[in-house]
Amino acid sequence: MHYPFWDQPIGYGVLMAVIAVFHVFVSHFAIGGGLYLVVNEHLARRDGDTARLAFLEKLSKFFAMVTLVAGALTGVGIWFVIGLLAPAATEALIHNYVWGWATEWTFFVVEIAAAMLYFYGWKRVTAKAHLTLGWIYFVAAWLSLVVINGILTFMLTPGRWLVTGDFWQGFFNPTYWPSLVLRTGVCVMLAGLYALLVASRLAAGDFKARTVRQAAGWAVVGLAVTALAQAWYWKAIPAEVTARALETMPTSVRAIVLSLWLAAALGAVGVALVILAPRRFGTAAALAFMALGMAWFGAFEWSRESLRKPYILTGYMYGNGAEVALTAAYRRDGFLPQITFRTGDDGADLFRHACRSCHTLDGYKALRPGLAGADRAYLLALVQGAHLLRGNMPPFLGTPREAGLIADHLYQRTDHRPLGAIYQVEGLALGRRAYDLRCGKCHAVGTASDKAKSLAGQSAEDLSGMLDMASSLGEGMPAYTGDAAERKALVAYLQTLGQGGKP
Amino acid sequence: MTLPDYRFISAPLWLVTILHLLTLTLHLAAMSCLLGGTLIALWAGVRKQWSAPDAAGLARVLPAATAATVSLGVAPLLFLQLVYPRQVYAATIVSGWFWLAVIGAVIMAYYAFYRTSFQAHRTGQVSLGLLALAALGLLYTSLVYSSVFALAEQPDLLRALYAKDQSGWVWNPALGAYGLRWLHVVLGALTVGGFFVSVLGRKSPAMAATGRAAFVGGMAAAAAMGFLYLVSLDTYLGPYMRTPAMPVLLLALALALAALHLHSRKRFGLSGLCLFLSLLGMVYLRHVLRLVRLRGSFDLAAWRIAPQWSPFLLFLVCFILMLVVLVWMARLFFRSEPDA
Ligand code: HEC
Ligand code: HEC
Repeated sequence: MHYPFWDQPIGYGVLMAVIAVFHVFVSHFAIGGGLYLVVNEHLARRDGDTARLAFLEKLSKFFAMVTLVAGALTGVGIWFVIGLLAPAATEALIHNYVWGWATEWTFFVVEIAAAMLYFYGWKRVTAKAHLTLGWIYFVAAWLSLVVINGILTFMLTPGRWLVTGDFWQGFFNPTYWPSLVLRTGVCVMLAGLYALLVASRLAAGDFKARTVRQAAGWAVVGLAVTALAQAWYWKAIPAEVTARALETMPTSVRAIVLSLWLAAALGAVGVALVILAPRRFGTAAALAFMALGMAWFGAFEWSRESLRKPYILTGYMYGNGAEVALTAAYRRDGFLPQITFRTGDDGADLFRHACRSCHTLDGYKALRPGLAGADRAYLLALVQGAHLLRGNMPPFLGTPREAGLIADHLYQRTDHRPLGAIYQVEGLALGRRAYDLRCGKCHAVGTASDKAKSLAGQSAEDLSGMLDMASSLGEGMPAYTGDAAERKALVAYLQTLGQGGKP
Repeated sequence: MTLPDYRFISAPLWLVTILHLLTLTLHLAAMSCLLGGTLIALWAGVRKQWSAPDAAGLARVLPAATAATVSLGVAPLLFLQLVYPRQVYAATIVSGWFWLAVIGAVIMAYYAFYRTSFQAHRTGQVSLGLLALAALGLLYTSLVYSSVFALAEQPDLLRALYAKDQSGWVWNPALGAYGLRWLHVVLGALTVGGFFVSVLGRKSPAMAATGRAAFVGGMAAAAAMGFLYLVSLDTYLGPYMRTPAMPVLLLALALALAALHLHSRKRFGLSGLCLFLSLLGMVYLRHVLRLVRLRGSFDLAAWRIAPQWSPFLLFLVCFILMLVVLVWMARLFFRSEPDA
């Protein structure tokens, strides 16, 4: 709140994802690829295998370009982006972990220097010196993961740090070790997948068969390590976090878990095939495996990010930068005194700092379409009940007056004609729209807060009566403020809910 | 339950300041070799002053200079954000798009350097177009840094700009506060780049001559620009004069002149050392100026200090280890003979 807010139309999630996804792949590849190169160089030199040495030299050129340029700069890019998108969280992290980051930087410098010398050194230095440079590169790169992993896992599971503020307790937090093993596995897997891709383009023959088989071995081992570590990781997360996620985001979480196992199985089967028929291994298949591996890892990173909701630093800071420690102050005096960069429009400022870091009006996680047809009183209820909506949002911690200002801000920007006019629907279709607007945001079908069962079998009068006293059904449940036509349609729709939405 | 408060600095301020200024000097030294070297290579290329192997020789070290600049830049940015988060994040957010575009500009420059270097390796020719592209990327980056970090020192302006425009498309309009400063930095880069080129090309009379000219000319111009900037400080000049800035400025100037003198005697190692120390002095001056400009809105002494000694020690050990490994690897690389 004590920073200006970057009001850009793309949406924070998209911008972050674009840079982060790319960086995460490249940086893990940079570690695994380094190991792949030196281990193979070692074997090739031992066996006097000149074909393999030539292959490795070619590989290392691409590798150097990717890690030195793309890896290093997207790393700096993430650094820039988090400072722009989540300055308060970045500030908090830096103050606690500056020496961690500084230590990581020393490894980073060695890594970059070693990569350069290794790359330029193929023809310049002795075999032994070259291998030494390669090992230095790999060890430095992996050590930088060892450090950054502490900070990354801290964000999801700060553990005892929340009580003691102790550097090491936050660093070696509950998910530190499983995550380290998992990421190391990913490094190895990506290295194998990449080598497969390069090998798939070799001319058919013994050399190709050998290279493909060996690269596939890397991918399988990496995959196996990752899969096991994944289960360990999930268990290491405090049960209340996973339980809450399962409850409020059941479909996405289950989908992730399923897709992970699916990818693991597919990957294993695919790679087994490679081991059996390496000579004919083609580029299309290699690309498919690569995509699979990336999708899998991407899903993992995504689930990790979603699990952290509504926090950016679990138990410490919410996704919008509101600080848990300041809850009482927010409730008493509101957000506005904390918002030090003001524009003169309090509603807009509040909306930016409370909601805008996750939502846009029309683009990513757009609010405007889903709020069409809402009246002001209902918008106010949504703001004040934000934590009850699907999406595992942070609670709105400001004062009631401030909630009203956000509601006004939204009301001025949304369509408030009746739903029938907006969507040109009537009957059950209108009822469904009314449900989506007025109920589904909190009682999403299929979640723990799904009310289909408790509504089943009730008469129209009962249901209408329930709507009359809606606001007394539970803390945070809003009063029904829609018009009569929508009410009638909604009641008819509710009657179908108990039967799975069919009339 | 009271949660830990993150508003603290985990080492004594003097220690953080030393590390900040030292790593920033290292970064600026690398940046100056890179930017200055590129500008000089362009100049020499346009005027066809160098032989093709000379030009290729310089082109082939520029990727490494880029890597050094980027990796040495990370640490000072970290310490900057540690001590001045309120100022720095705010300024970067207000100029968000320009700031973010730095990443693109540097990636572009980096690839251009690599291409130039590969091409030089293959064909012996250096592409001036690619070099110009890289130079553009670097100049853009330096200009954004100057304008954003100047904005970070003007909290009232920052607030007013944000109140008018929150889109991240705000460019610092107070050109007076950073235009001269930026030119001073670019001319300084030319000076250091001149030194770098003259040492790199000490066996080639043409290269050494261009380098020397840039070294001497750049220094004179940078000093003049620095003086103008000092005068333009206006109301800040008085308070600035009452800090230890003046003696340090004189010392830095003396060191720069000593570097010139030693350079003419071909004592390159000592000359480089003097130049580096002079740069360190300039970095210190810049640090003091920031504090003067921020007076009234920010006070270093307000930070709560809560040292984390064991992680700091870990860092220190790794830092020393890093220096040792870097030197050791360089020896390995430059002293090693390939197997027959
Ligand atoms: C930490 C991120 C975050 C913050 C902050 C946040 N939201 Fe959300 N919000 C979400 C997510 C995630 C969803 C689920 C959206 C989805 O699944 O598409 C959501 C859903 C919603 C929905 C339902 C959208 C629909 O059409 O179904 C509304 C309305 C909403 N948010 C309003 C707000 C308001 C108002 C604020 C500010 C008081 C706010 N949100 C703050 C993350 C956030
Ligand atoms: C802002 C969020 C929100 C919205 C919108 C909302 N509810 Fe609720 N509702 C709640 C909360 C919170 C409770 C109390 C906790 C619970 O039972 O889950 C609740 C309780 C209920 C209950 C009583 C639960 C029971 O099992 O006895 C019913 C029925 C219900 N809501 C139906 C609806 C209907 C129908 C709508 C649409 C008109 C609606 N709700 C809109 C939040 C909401």
